[in-house]
Amino acid sequence: MGSSSKRKKDKQKDFQKPKLKVGKTKAKPDNYTDTSFKSKCMYILWPLDVLLCSQLLAIVLTQQSLHLAAPTSNATFTHNLSLLSAKSDSQRRDSLAYLTTSISSRPVNSPLPQPVSVILPSLLPLILDGATSVRTQLLKLLRTLPPGDVEDHVAQLLPYVRAGMTHLAADIRGSAVEILSWMVEAAGESTVSCAGGWIKTLNCFLSVLGWHTEESSQWSSSRASFGKSGSQGKPMVKTLGALAMFLDAGIGKPSIDGVDSEMSGDDESPDWPFPLCQTAQHMISDSSTPFAYLNLFGKPRDEEGEMYETREDRYRVFSTRFQPAIERGIKSAREEGGELGRASSGVSKVLKEAIAYGPGP
Amino acid sequence: MIYRTRSGINCYFALFRSYIEDFRAQHYQYESHREIYMAAPSSATDTGLISLRDLIDFISHVADCYPGICKDFPQQLIDMLMQHHLVLETELREKLVGSLVLLKKKDLLDSATLLHTLFPILVSTPSKTLRALLFQKILSELRTANSKTTNHKLNRTMQTVLFNLVTSDRTSAKGLWAIKITRELWKRQIWTEAKAVEIMKEAALSQNEKVIIGGVRFFLGGDKEREELEDEDSEEEVNVGQVKHQLTINKKTRKKARVAEKAIKAVRNKERKKGNPSPLNFSALHLLHDPQGFADNMFFKHLQNGKSNLKLEQKLQVLQLVSRLVGLHKLHIMPLYSYFQKFLTPRQPSVTSFLASLAQASHDLVPPDVLEPLVQKIANEFVSEASAGEVATAGLNAIREICARQPLAIEETLLQDLVMYKKSKDKGVMMASKGLLSLYRDVGAQMLKKRDRGKEAAMSLRAGERQERRYGEQAVGEIEGLELLAKWKDEERRKKNIENGLPSDAEDNEDENDEADWAAWNVEDDEDSDTDGEWINVEQDVDIVLSDSEDEGKPASKKAKQEEEAKKDTEKEAEADKAIDFMKLATTRILTPADLAKLTELRAQAAVDATLPGNKGRVAAPWTSRHTDDPLTAGEIEGLAALSAAKATREERIAHAREGKTDRSEHMSKEARRKERKEEQGKSTTNKEKARKKNFLMTLGKARSKNKRSLVETRAVLKAHVDRGKRGGRRGNVGQ
Repeated sequence: MGSSSKRKKDKQKDFQKPKLKVGKTKAKPDNYTDTSFKSKCMYILWPLDVLLCSQLLAIVLTQQSLHLAAPTSNATFTHNLSLLSAKSDSQRRDSLAYLTTSISSRPVNSPLPQPVSVILPSLLPLILDGATSVRTQLLKLLRTLPPGDVEDHVAQLLPYVRAGMTHLAADIRGSAVEILSWMVEAAGESTVSCAGGWIKTLNCFLSVLGWHTEESSQWSSSRASFGKSGSQGKPMVKTLGALAMFLDAGIGKPSIDGVDSEMSGDDESPDWPFPLCQTAQHMISDSSTPFAYLNLFGKPRDEEGEMYETREDRYRVFSTRFQPAIERGIKSAREEGGELGRASSGVSKVLKEAIAYGPGP
Repeated sequence: MIYRTRSGINCYFALFRSYIEDFRAQHYQYESHREIYMAAPSSATDTGLISLRDLIDFISHVADCYPGICKDFPQQLIDMLMQHHLVLETELREKLVGSLVLLKKKDLLDSATLLHTLFPILVSTPSKTLRALLFQKILSELRTANSKTTNHKLNRTMQTVLFNLVTSDRTSAKGLWAIKITRELWKRQIWTEAKAVEIMKEAALSQNEKVIIGGVRFFLGGDKEREELEDEDSEEEVNVGQVKHQLTINKKTRKKARVAEKAIKAVRNKERKKGNPSPLNFSALHLLHDPQGFADNMFFKHLQNGKSNLKLEQKLQVLQLVSRLVGLHKLHIMPLYSYFQKFLTPRQPSVTSFLASLAQASHDLVPPDVLEPLVQKIANEFVSEASAGEVATAGLNAIREICARQPLAIEETLLQDLVMYKKSKDKGVMMASKGLLSLYRDVGAQMLKKRDRGKEAAMSLRAGERQERRYGEQAVGEIEGLELLAKWKDEERRKKNIENGLPSDAEDNEDENDEADWAAWNVEDDEDSDTDGEWINVEQDVDIVLSDSEDEGKPASKKAKQEEEAKKDTEKEAEADKAIDFMKLATTRILTPADLAKLTELRAQAAVDATLPGNKGRVAAPWTSRHTDDPLTAGEIEGLAALSAAKATREERIAHAREGKTDRSEHMSKEARRKERKEEQGKSTTNKEKARKKNFLMTLGKARSKNKRSLVETRAVLKAHVDRGKRGGRRGNVGQ
């Protein structure tokens, strides 16, 4: 009796409409969820073409980007540089492409929009990037950098390149080898003589090629097949080419200019007039880190991480540690014939010349 | 996978050899990632970090298969952790710690190096999670290192490190880690040496209050913790029979087989342990080197020193430790007693703890004239007719505890005054006072008034066997329960003589007896000894008389009583002769292990008998059953204060009532229980109950109509009511 009327009242409550009042905001429903949020900054990813053709228009999209003028090319360069760590690979590739065009299309003899030391740290992780398109674009960008600037940053680049060369994915290994060959082209001398640049890199080469031990260099063993096999063909051939270049840079017969510059300390340089002799020795060095070999601030290096600055040192290390393994590898590669055999002949030529030259004059 | 056969092992290694190129590549990968990371540890990218972490994980798992390639790996990890633990990303840091422990397990790293790596980081890192991880790893490392045999070398180096940590900087809180580690290892009986105690001693003398209290608490509670853990370990029982039986019934799975195997192994271990001699672990207080110096230092540094900024409860803990040391080792710190003087007022917070400490600090070598003023003060401040019951109880209990340790600490007149409180209305005070009385019946009956002495004490006084013990007098050393053994042997001999047909008192030839004894050199494993608890005879025909005091008249007739007493007296005289006799047993012959086993058995039996009230003697007083190692607590001083407390609340009363009757489901009145029982039995209800249960709405109509009744109607109803009353109800009682 009493309970049923009570229940009725309860039921009616559900169907009652809330009263609206004039001049008051409408009451929020019970299940209202507050979705507003606060943020310190807000990124708006502009499509590239919009950015470029917005020279004259001041497009006001949101309160955050109240610019009267479009961002300067320098600002867009920095912006794109920061986009290199974006999540999507297409974004990274596009940014790389933008950076490449802006570097290559800059007027001749004008400096880079940002110095290499600023650009490089954000480029380095991309050597190990998973997307193939990003890595190829990266290589293009690297090629546009002035070789003189690269020379000072080889020591930074090399660990990443070595990590790439021993990566599980064959594609990344391939592109790392390509980057290494670019480095040798751009700054061969500093590549082979920087800290850890000689022994460690050669070790990486051997492990990429699978030439480390006796049995692993036999033709029947599964050579260079660790990790995922790549989509690009002939990685071995490329690697052999890069090895040839690397060896040439490291222990190849020094060219006449090289000999000259080396000898210039001993002989009287034509640059200095007569009474001055051996002056070049006493001048401030023109390399960026002339006392790097002293290793004043780093932690002590072991044999592998040591700097081998002269050809003599490098040849000594090479002949004791690597020569047998490489000769064995070349032999088996030659026996395999085909394209690989031809590529191996390039290496063996370099090797022969180096051995003929011996430990040095 | 487990490869047990030789070919299996070979194939296992061949497997690793064939992967060596891939492993080498991964190692180079790790090397270059490490190089990249070490160039800038604080500004590493996410992907680089993840790959470095994964590589470290991978390499540490298989490092034992490629020892040549990985020979520098442990050192590299150690360097990375030691140099950069402040900036390392947390997950990588934890991975490094985990990998190092893993490498230790694979024997690529020795435990000393591991501990020397982890411990400095534990002490210096600001990260809480890392500290927790490191602490746990260090502990488990020390435990595993000591699991098979005690690794003395490692323990010694670790203890030295901890000792240096505590002593190097006395103001810093870093010593806390030394305390934590030592306490944990002490608890698990891994460290039981004096060196560990020395660490704690230094900690207790430090200047940081956290460290001080950590050290003090170790001494106060560390051994108890250890015992509890031991009990816990031994308690977990595995029923092998049940496990095996279940295995035959249930589905056979690999897991169940494993469980059974484990159970059998546990039992086997236990059995093996039973055979071993139990490890003799001294308590920390006994292992202390130079307790007098330590107690002195503690007292002057933390208590007497005005500059020490310890809080009251911390001071109390320090005081507890000092007083326990004083009591246990019978030390002399004279200023300690005058220190107590100012705290002995009922208004002092947690005064019972102070009283307990004072009682602990008194022993029979303390000069009585040092304790006397304290006892006097307690009596003046606490025990009077005007003071509350709890207060007087606490005071009396404290005095009793002091006097139990130094009976000369109280004057005769004061004692006689205090004993008068046995007539108090307050039950707590009465009990406390009786406690004091019965104590002095034992230790100094001549100080009591004649009528308080009791029969036993009075008689022994008259006989002159009981004399006041002088200050500093020591009791002759004896083997506890030896008289029991002597008595038992005597009885055995008598039995044998009777069997042989000799008079029971005849002295048999000693040689034969000796031979029998030597034959029974070893403890025989009779069949009942393999059950865990041995049987102890409990006297069956003891009439259990529960009485609070001896003053209450006993129902036994006087004559019977006198006869009994006479009998007892003769027995007693005989026993007095034997008292000298049983010492002969200890001095003239060697006790065999069988004798010792019998001795423990007899002692246990005597202990059980003593707890039974009856004609065997009074219940052993609490001060005699206490072990010297046990601390005296404030709770014991408060004693039966609950009895003298004001009327309890209803809840308290209910709780108190329920304590005794655990089988009852709910607390109800007698009436309610009766009703419940009636309902259960299906009996009908009374009219009153029916009326009480009647639906309210049904009564509503009548109540309304009652309001509307006219005067005449009301009169008629009242008249009818009176009439009915006279008649004796509706039906009337005419016929009855």
